[in-house]
Amino acid sequence: MQRSKAAAGVEVKRVIGALCRLLAALGLDPVPAPEAFRRAKFGGRPEGDPFWQLLSSILHMSGIISSETSSQLRGELRKLVAAGLWQSGYHADWIYGADAGSFCSRDLLLALGWLLAKGVLETLLAGRVEQLDQTLLSSAPEKPEFSADLELDAASLRRLQWLMGHLRHRGRTLLSTIGARTRALHEVLSSSQVCSAAPSAGRSSAALTEDCFSLQQLCELLDAYVSWKQVEKVFWTWMDSVADRRLCDLRDRTSSQGVSHSLGACHQGKQRLEEMLRGPAQQQDVKSGDADWAVASLPPSLSSRLSAPSVHQMCRARLQAEQRLRRPSEGPHGGAAAPGELPAPQAAQLLLQAETELLQRRDRRRLANRKQLQGLMGSLDQQVFIAL
Amino acid sequence: MSVVTVQLGQCGNQVGQELFDVISSDAQDGQRKTYSSVSRERFFRQTSQGGKKMRYNKNKAPRGFYYDCCYVGKVLKYFFFFLRVPDFEARAVLVDMEPKVINHSMNRAAKSGRWRYAEASHFSQKQGSGNNWANGFRVLGPRHRDAVEELVRREVEHCDVLAGFIPMMSVAGGTGSGVGTFVTQCLRDVYPSSFVLNHLTWPYGTGEVIVQNYNSVLTLAHLYQLSDALLVHENDAVHRICSQQLNLKQISFGDLNRVIAHQLAGVLQPALTPDSCGAYSGNPLGELVSALACHPEYKLLSACSIPQMASASIAFSTFSWPALLKHLRQMLIANTKMEEGIDWQVRPPPASAGRTSSLTAGGFNASLANLLILRGKDVYSAETGGFEDPAIYTSWLPPAEALSLWKSPVPFDKYEKSATLVSNSQALLRPLDDMVRKAWNMFASR
Repeated sequence: MQRSKAAAGVEVKRVIGALCRLLAALGLDPVPAPEAFRRAKFGGRPEGDPFWQLLSSILHMSGIISSETSSQLRGELRKLVAAGLWQSGYHADWIYGADAGSFCSRDLLLALGWLLAKGVLETLLAGRVEQLDQTLLSSAPEKPEFSADLELDAASLRRLQWLMGHLRHRGRTLLSTIGARTRALHEVLSSSQVCSAAPSAGRSSAALTEDCFSLQQLCELLDAYVSWKQVEKVFWTWMDSVADRRLCDLRDRTSSQGVSHSLGACHQGKQRLEEMLRGPAQQQDVKSGDADWAVASLPPSLSSRLSAPSVHQMCRARLQAEQRLRRPSEGPHGGAAAPGELPAPQAAQLLLQAETELLQRRDRRRLANRKQLQGLMGSLDQQVFIAL
Repeated sequence: MSVVTVQLGQCGNQVGQELFDVISSDAQDGQRKTYSSVSRERFFRQTSQGGKKMRYNKNKAPRGFYYDCCYVGKVLKYFFFFLRVPDFEARAVLVDMEPKVINHSMNRAAKSGRWRYAEASHFSQKQGSGNNWANGFRVLGPRHRDAVEELVRREVEHCDVLAGFIPMMSVAGGTGSGVGTFVTQCLRDVYPSSFVLNHLTWPYGTGEVIVQNYNSVLTLAHLYQLSDALLVHENDAVHRICSQQLNLKQISFGDLNRVIAHQLAGVLQPALTPDSCGAYSGNPLGELVSALACHPEYKLLSACSIPQMASASIAFSTFSWPALLKHLRQMLIANTKMEEGIDWQVRPPPASAGRTSSLTAGGFNASLANLLILRGKDVYSAETGGFEDPAIYTSWLPPAEALSLWKSPVPFDKYEKSATLVSNSQALLRPLDDMVRKAWNMFASR
């Protein structure tokens, strides 16, 4: 089990390494190291994160953020990234400014995953290839906008047709001339033994080295893209695990929130309780536990402090749990023990009650939806509804 | 760049043979080496192996016949010697449904001694098409498609660079019109980026073939979509040239063909175009088509040339560019193809009068575009202002775009100065109208 986990870990690191190589080849410096990705999954500090930089440069390069916006929001990287992500359709809570406390690097990672899924890599690739590959013909010029009410003058129309035909014929003549020139050039080059550094087609050697360099870059880029494509699936499974974590987080938070809402009386004394709790908490040993917040498991050492369960104590426990969840950035410090009471069985009971209540609510909603759907189906004539 | 001609039917084969004759004799008589080599490259290919052994007899050799190395030629003047001479094979494919005309053309070519047709570039069957367009287009064409395409492909492979094709045919018969249309379609399919300039010979109004109007109308309808331009010679007009200009009493098809070949060669021989930057134009078909037939609905072109006279009289005539160009301009406006009997009364309508597009607005022939080709001495001093008059062109195409001018300092076909005019004008409207009307009458009275 451990070995397979380790192997999986190595595999994931390799995959993320391929992604980093590709991002670097696309010119999105600086690119965070694969280790940073892994740390971000487990929720690192969002401030000063290289991911902000990465996201902003991706958004800027792929044209999701226009250059005016970027110049306006130059100093405020977060606003820029938030604006860009919102533009691309990623509506996360942290963008709206709510839930500022529960924000972590994982959210940035998820945002990156969203952009990748949207196909931003392909856009960036196309843009970069166009820059590097000089043998590509530039794209056709924009079609001019014509106003809807054009007066069709027969004479001008004929003139236009004439000119179009003229251009077409010229184009074909040019094509045949180029073919002739290529053939002649081929004959000259294949028959002559001259291999000196004679300038070819009037370009200097500096330009040639430049060409060479950009071709090399192009090759690297395409290579990176191909290797990325081969391991992309693994990346998405890993990204799934990141999303799962976040979902668990959310679930816990909402469930705990739900419980605290049902215990409305707690909130009045919330502030005072916090002060009270903070006092003794600071004297406690900071437990630098595992920063893995997969489950908001309450450390067992606290159970020793159990006294008679009271509503207030339960509130405290809830509040502590909430605070802990809201401040995961304090990672190791977040393990600060809650001195409050921990009526575990009762907490469990409350949780179960809340769960059943929510389930009932969900079932009622489902039934209502089904009835609505059936009504809709009945009203639609001659159409069959096939449920997938 | 090379041009491949596809000679179709009886008329096409005969005209084609005359054309190559004129071109090869012009190229050899020419004083300038570049001109000759460009012309030869365009229409012939050299095969130095398997050339005929010729006995070089200074008395009997055709004038201007030299081996490539000049000093050898000079030395050999005093000797009887057997030489292996380079053979010029025409870049042509001959197609007909009966063998008679093809054999005749090939023999005549070989007899000339200057050039010949390649042995394997002809295709013929035993039976003709019976003057039936549908037979040619729907039955014989598809049946023999592969063989003809193979011949064309072989000819194209011999070309270094292909400029385009010139299918030559008459629109009256069965093979030329039916099979010719089908072959043009095949050419278009297989070589979509090459130019296709069809040369058409329109029959006499009081024609030889009873269904010639059907054949003509059907051919034109199809060729309009397939071809880049249609260069037309009418038998009636050429006949008049023969009888009045050349003073021939018994006019045979051979005479007609020679006149047509002369005019066609005057168009196709090397010339300096404004775009060719001091060298002979590489792609004559492309330049011609882009000068004249740019609008997809106006593709019919007609040609006339000046002077046209019996070869015996050439030595006694003097030519001046102003006179030649003045006559040519009036020929264009008055819609005649020859200098005799030009109607000098015809004038372009004054600018104040509105533009009329009727055919008989005083007999004036308005042009869409003109291509003027001048060949000979003092060609750079020729004044062509008369052709830049906006009154002779339409209102929507200014003379700067409508008129193209090609020049060549090399005299053409024994004329010290000659001019050819290819025009996209109303000149063919009346014959076309007649043709369609007769076809419709015949159809309606079934």
